[in-house]
Amino acid sequence: MMKKDGKENTLAKEMAKAEVDGKAEKKQEKDKSKAAGKNAFAETKMQGGKEQEAAPVKINKKKVNAYKRRQNRLGYLFMLPWIIGFVIFTLFPFVATIYLSFTDVRTSVRGWEIDFVGMANYVTAFFKNTEFVPALLEFLAMIIPYTFVVIIVSFIIAYLMSKLTKFRGMFRTIYFLPVIIMSGPVMSQILDANVSEHMEEVSRYDGLFIMNMIESYSPQFAHTLGGVLDELSVILWFTGIPIVLFINGLQKINPSLFEAAKIDSANSWQILWKIIIPMIKPIALVCTIFTIAQLGTYDTNPVYGLIKTATGNMSGGLGYAATYAWIYSLIVLLIIGAAFLIFKDRKEKKRGV
Amino acid sequence: MKGMKKKNRAVNVFPKIQKLLIYFVLICISFVFLKPIFGIISKTFMSSADVIDPAVEWLPKKFSIGNLKVAAGVLKINKTLLNSIMFSGLLAICQTVVSALTGYALSRFNFRFKHFWFVMILLAFIIPVPVLMVPRLMMFVSFQEAIKFTLIGTPIPQVLMALLGQGVYSTVLILIFNNFFNMIPHVLDEAAMIDGAGPLKVFYHVVIKMSLSTILVVFLFSFVWNWNETYITGTLLRNSIELLPSKLSLFNSEFDSMASASGSAFKINEAYKMAATFISIAPLLVLYAFVQKRFIQGIENTGITGE
Repeated sequence: MMKKDGKENTLAKEMAKAEVDGKAEKKQEKDKSKAAGKNAFAETKMQGGKEQEAAPVKINKKKVNAYKRRQNRLGYLFMLPWIIGFVIFTLFPFVATIYLSFTDVRTSVRGWEIDFVGMANYVTAFFKNTEFVPALLEFLAMIIPYTFVVIIVSFIIAYLMSKLTKFRGMFRTIYFLPVIIMSGPVMSQILDANVSEHMEEVSRYDGLFIMNMIESYSPQFAHTLGGVLDELSVILWFTGIPIVLFINGLQKINPSLFEAAKIDSANSWQILWKIIIPMIKPIALVCTIFTIAQLGTYDTNPVYGLIKTATGNMSGGLGYAATYAWIYSLIVLLIIGAAFLIFKDRKEKKRGV
Repeated sequence: MKGMKKKNRAVNVFPKIQKLLIYFVLICISFVFLKPIFGIISKTFMSSADVIDPAVEWLPKKFSIGNLKVAAGVLKINKTLLNSIMFSGLLAICQTVVSALTGYALSRFNFRFKHFWFVMILLAFIIPVPVLMVPRLMMFVSFQEAIKFTLIGTPIPQVLMALLGQGVYSTVLILIFNNFFNMIPHVLDEAAMIDGAGPLKVFYHVVIKMSLSTILVVFLFSFVWNWNETYITGTLLRNSIELLPSKLSLFNSEFDSMASASGSAFKINEAYKMAATFISIAPLLVLYAFVQKRFIQGIENTGITGE
């Protein structure tokens, strides 16, 4: 009860402030409070008069208060399952992983034995384990080009589709299909098949003049490019949801903007760069985050495999698993942060100009 | 005048060529999209002679369903298919219920720290799953020791997580619901409240009954994602219930052990693997054939594109 009273007081103060703010607002709140009064009345009937304060009261302030409290209470009532789940299964594990990454976890008869070992796990991960760093680098070499390709290709496809009037539904159905069937085992089977198919034609792009040119500048880049080309159809499978989001976003751009631009004699190339791309940027950010999250849970992700085997080794591997997972997540979060910066910076520049 | 007309005609022809070009490009891209699926299907129906034959690229010379039979036997299809459907369905129901509740709270009530919780919902999507799995696993293990009841290896942990809104891609499902509930006019709620309905009654009789199609969309998405999810399932369920996708990931070794046990000279080849893959995606393909429009609309209605 004490807490409740405290809340009431603060709410009352807030309300007093709000009343000073303006009459129009007050009117709205009055209307709301009327409805609320009725709701409250209905509720008291149902709950057998549990809430005495909530019954119709003469003073306006109290009515508004009751309304606000009800909103608060009901909102949390409906949110409760999610909040409990979030705290137990997401927030706590997230913090716990950071702690566990500094410990050595062993199972024994008495349950979990957790010893604090400081940075030992990190030292092992980076310097002693010969698998982890290469896997991490491989992961970076995968996720960065993949994300770029996915976002750019899906935007191009969506842009082309927005120019069409017929067969749009058909194309959309085809491009969305992989979202439904894409799962780790299926992907690895398909990639397996791909590899065995191309066994006989090792480095197919060797003969290409352009590839030779690129290779002479930077073999690393040529290797990455070759990898992207090799797995193009698998990469394209990640574009399903971004394409739909981009199409949806393109449809929502106000057509009068295009008309205005056309009247100012802009061609479609200029419209693309000056209107469409700046307006689609927030969606591109959402798509980027989604793609990174999706690629992160991709089964052939090399780090993922390491974490999985370490987690499977319950007798002594959980500490390492936590370290791996934490480093990995830090990198993923950093990449997402970088995506945020890329998309946000330009926006602010635009505002400045 | 003549010059003008000619110009007009030129302008008219140009967009047509452009459109044809766009169609051409899009069809090419479609082929790249579908190529793996075509590959799976064509290999599935090849006889073992066709697989080795380099002259056979797409269409098998002899149509055979022998591969399918063998793969179905290794996958134990009649058991795993039912298991998978029930397991994904159960999780999907839990996820749908909790997402509906959360979406309703976000769309109808002005509670304190609403924006904070909204950001948390988005954050829950960004945090990679592996980082959460180790403590989750430890939690479940110590909990099962405390109550002397096996949890790991049963669907209970995942059901619990789904029921508390931490299933696969829960955030997206919540966003779909939130956006749809925002589109239902508040006046309806108020009318029901004036007639004496409590918040739960309003939620059930007004909101839920109006959003059956959205519920179906969310259920389908949840079903498909739970079907395709193997990491959490592999950690918490541990193959104690045989599911189709996890069987597929073990297909190679299972095939070998079965072949050696029966003493046959069967050797694993592409065709068997692809047949197994085909079997594991076939239920999803059937589902998609019937309700593909709803899937796409579902993603469009998440509202993350800003409405």
